Amino acid sequence: MFGMQSTDDGDPVVNRRSWRYWFRVIHRDVGYLIAGLTLIYAVSGLAVNHIDDWNPNYSILQEQRTFAPIEDSTRMTEAELSATLGGALDLDATPQRLLRTGPGKAQLFYDGVTVEADLASGVAIVERVSDRPLLRDANFLHLNHPKGVWTYLADLYALTLIGMVITGVFLLRGRQGLRGRGKWLIGVGTALPLVALWLLRWS
Amino acid sequence: MSRSIRCLLSGCLLSIGLAVWSGEGTTYGTGVSAGEKVTIEALIANPDRYVDKLVQVEGIVTDVCPKRGCWMNITSQAGEQTVRIKVDDGVIVFPLDAKGRHARAEGKFSYRKLSKEESISYLQHIAEEKKQPFDPASVTSELTIYTLKGTGAVID
Repeated sequence: MFGMQSTDDGDPVVNRRSWRYWFRVIHRDVGYLIAGLTLIYAVSGLAVNHIDDWNPNYSILQEQRTFAPIEDSTRMTEAELSATLGGALDLDATPQRLLRTGPGKAQLFYDGVTVEADLASGVAIVERVSDRPLLRDANFLHLNHPKGVWTYLADLYALTLIGMVITGVFLLRGRQGLRGRGKWLIGVGTALPLVALWLLRWS
Repeated sequence: MSRSIRCLLSGCLLSIGLAVWSGEGTTYGTGVSAGEKVTIEALIANPDRYVDKLVQVEGIVTDVCPKRGCWMNITSQAGEQTVRIKVDDGVIVFPLDAKGRHARAEGKFSYRKLSKEESISYLQHIAEEKKQPFDPASVTSELTIYTLKGTGAVID
């Protein structure tokens, strides 16, 4: 019986032997359980959808700087070159590492900062990299970079979503259910990717 | 909340923690083990000898694919010779903060000599990917690209 009465937890009183009742219970409680993960996947989905336009994992700031050209860097020790370059670019004089990457070229590595310097022309590109907080972690999980155990948890989540769709479709009956407008809305939702595929790939 | 649900949630959170922890290590893909160890200098000095062979190189990570982490460049300690470790998108993801760190990588070796036009196109693509200015006139010689089809790496 569907009516005005409700149980203590707010659910309408329905026949507990009905499959529709159990679909409602599953849909409600599993919905609470996967709310956080669904939010993570959705936000990450938005972020990685636009990967051609921005970097969803890192904030990368680059600036070109000039300094007095260093004509004969081969005679300088690594420490001398690091100190000279670091000082000229307002960076620490002792980078984590310095590499001479070619004639008159050098790379300096600091924590989160990389410098590519053309010593002869006195031009350097200073790149500062930082994580996008939370978003990189969300993408890490969404794109299954950890693999291992997370693969099975993500599989379980996907199967749960399938279960949510099935129980959701049959939750209501009558004009708002599958026999009413439900079938038309499902039709539209299914047609959308099919039309997109037809337009983008098959036509 | 019943005891069983609390246990289930605790188990899930523990599993998530373990999954995240396992991904934070310094071993990527299958790591390094089976490939023939060769210096980058030796590889580049005699590339035909190593084509299609599984080799292992080590050096300093000088660049990483900024968006997908699908490649990294390893440069010899001497600094002038570089090999690109290319992996399939999403199979292995190299972190951008690997730059400047020592790494070992393993994979099947190949190389390709580019024409002048191909060299310009290649460097232009790299510059676009890194959002850096590029002057085609700065390309004065033809490039040779040395690549490992990466199966694994260890980044210190």
